[in-house]
Amino acid sequence: MTTKDHTPVLKVENLQTSFFTYDGEVKAVDGVDFEVRENETLGIVGESGSGKSITSLSVMQLIQSPGEIIGGKIELNGDDLLQKSKAQFAKYRGNRLSMIFQEPMTSLNPVFTVGHQVAETVKIHKKMGKREAHQEVIRMLKLVGIPAPESRAKSYPHELSGGMRQRVMIAMALACEPELLIADEPTTALDVTIQAQILELIKRLQESTGMAVMIITHDLGVIAETADQVAVMYAGEVVEQADVKTLFNRPLHPYTQGLMNSIPRHDVDVDELEVIRGTVPSPAEMPSGCRFAQRCPYASEICNTHPSLAAPSNNIDGHTDAGAVRCWIYTDEWDAEGNPMKNEEVQQGS
Amino acid sequence: MHIFIIRRLLQLIPVIIGVTLVAFLIIQLIPGDAAQVMAGEAASEEQLEQVRENLGLNEPLYVQYGLFLADLAQFDLGESVRTGQPVMELVAPRFWITLELAFWGLVVAVSVGLFLGILAANKQNSFRDFGTMAAAVIGLSMPNFWLGLMLMYVFANQLGWLPTSGWGDWQQIFLPAITMGTAGAAIIARMTRSAMLEVIGEDYVRTARAKGVKERFVIYKHALRNALIPVVTVIGLQFGYFLSGAVLTESVFSINGLGRLVVDAIAQRDFPVVQGTVIVLALTFVFVNFVVDVLYRVLNKRIELN
Ligand SMILES: Nc1ncnc2c1ncn2[C@@H]1O[C@H](COP(=O)(O)OP(=O)(O)OP(=O)(O)O)[C@@H](O)[C@H]1O
Ligand code: SF4
Ligand SMILES: [Mg+2]
Repeated sequence: MTTKDHTPVLKVENLQTSFFTYDGEVKAVDGVDFEVRENETLGIVGESGSGKSITSLSVMQLIQSPGEIIGGKIELNGDDLLQKSKAQFAKYRGNRLSMIFQEPMTSLNPVFTVGHQVAETVKIHKKMGKREAHQEVIRMLKLVGIPAPESRAKSYPHELSGGMRQRVMIAMALACEPELLIADEPTTALDVTIQAQILELIKRLQESTGMAVMIITHDLGVIAETADQVAVMYAGEVVEQADVKTLFNRPLHPYTQGLMNSIPRHDVDVDELEVIRGTVPSPAEMPSGCRFAQRCPYASEICNTHPSLAAPSNNIDGHTDAGAVRCWIYTDEWDAEGNPMKNEEVQQGS
Repeated sequence: MHIFIIRRLLQLIPVIIGVTLVAFLIIQLIPGDAAQVMAGEAASEEQLEQVRENLGLNEPLYVQYGLFLADLAQFDLGESVRTGQPVMELVAPRFWITLELAFWGLVVAVSVGLFLGILAANKQNSFRDFGTMAAAVIGLSMPNFWLGLMLMYVFANQLGWLPTSGWGDWQQIFLPAITMGTAGAAIIARMTRSAMLEVIGEDYVRTARAKGVKERFVIYKHALRNALIPVVTVIGLQFGYFLSGAVLTESVFSINGLGRLVVDAIAQRDFPVVQGTVIVLALTFVFVNFVVDVLYRVLNKRIELN
């Protein structure tokens, strides 16, 4: 499953995206790093407003004013995407990297047939003629499991169910065999049974093409089912990153632990957590130290300084290679401070 | 769809009854004796009786209305009390002139309005946007007849590029059409701008960008198609208003349309002609609205069923 030695398909470094509102700058994404490799699925999870969508829209360069990518680096198989001109990057979108969205109901244009909308992609990027494009549309619709693709291609979006529309979106996104697929909450708006089918479909298509997938969700169940690697986001930052097994077996960050405590119910939304008291701090009152400090049961003096995302120090057995975490507990400084809190106690929280 | 059209047609019945009733009552509501007003002060008793007889004013009201409707159903709008000519003969040729005038006014309103609206929406809050919208406010608040006179003064009297008045030659179309179309262009520009701005924020526009569609096509294909839906309604309504608003433009440019006819008829207290003109204009208005309604429905069908 995980192919660690491959160079990443997508490499995001220190991504910063801000919204310049009348109330000042809102740092929606503030120094995010992650990688997605070939044939690998990265799950991004976090509470509402943690910056998941803005992160994925930044990768697609779909941030609209007053938002702006103000720093960082995004590489697709070594290509520096932020250096491309608008016209150059348009050739990448829908071709080398694609995105599907949460709302299949509103994400398709109501005045064009779905066939037309899928065909548009291959006409643009593969320079296909009308007939050839039509053949391709039928092939893609078939591939994503749409029955009677010939006649469905002539349907308007309102004539299809939510699940079918999401399949159309997937057909559209994958028509040019992208290296990377970004799926922002692709199943949130769908019925539970349809959700499973759509996730299954994405997985199957990934296996046959080897594309890298970035899946964004509230739902830890979806993460458990689909992801190889997981990034946990909080207040515009990645606070923990690990492979899925490690993360579920031994969550390190107190925030991740809080999320895990809600797991007994498989389908619970992060938003419905009662375990983590309080809410995400607003941009105006964002602490300069650890952003989770106000809600963290272990917060101490040192947490007033901003922690960095780093591999945990070897003071936890078997966790030296367990990805990265943004928390003082897993640093040598924590012990050096003579902090009363013992790591074992932290672990009991999980 | 058929059911929708039939239902809309049925809804027209009370509207048409209302329109004809109001037109019918025009004569009844003239203060004093209608026959006296029409025949003038010097009319003798016999003459008055004659007018009353012609107009059927001696019958009970409901009988009069019934007769009026029966005539109307046969396209009989009565006769002019001045010339004795059938009103239908007076109205029909002028109706075409007014229709033509309204059509060209609409052409100006739609082409200029759409163009400016898209231009403004494309660069929201830019100098271009503010400039266009300021021009729209000016266009909207300028009185029609004043604009007409100004245009005539500059382009006909001073520059001598275009004829001052009349109707029939293609050169005679420009000034009246601009006069008629300016306010409409302003309304359509504002409408197009706000519809475009709304549509540009929609998810499917983002999808189009995510597919790699060039920005030009995102705007003119994916967004504009959807933004046009509310704009069509405004355009249809404009046409209705143009027909009734032609009066002033026709007077300014001495165009022999319905407007002139009705103004002259009022001056001469020729009420059957006034009545006939009102009915023709009102029914056209009702008909245009019906067509717009159906058109809107056709364009909008896909969304509404969501
Ligand atoms: N147009 C905007 N103007 C100002 N701030 C914005 C705007 N869009 C997003 N933000 C800020 O970015 C933050 C992150 O938003 P984002 O949509 O990425 O959250 P998310 O993690 O995807 O949440 P959800 O789970 O609800 O989709 C928000 O909390 C908000 O403060
Ligand atoms: S750095 Fe401190 S406040 Fe932040 S999560 Fe770790 S212990 Fe809690
Ligand atoms: Mg989101």
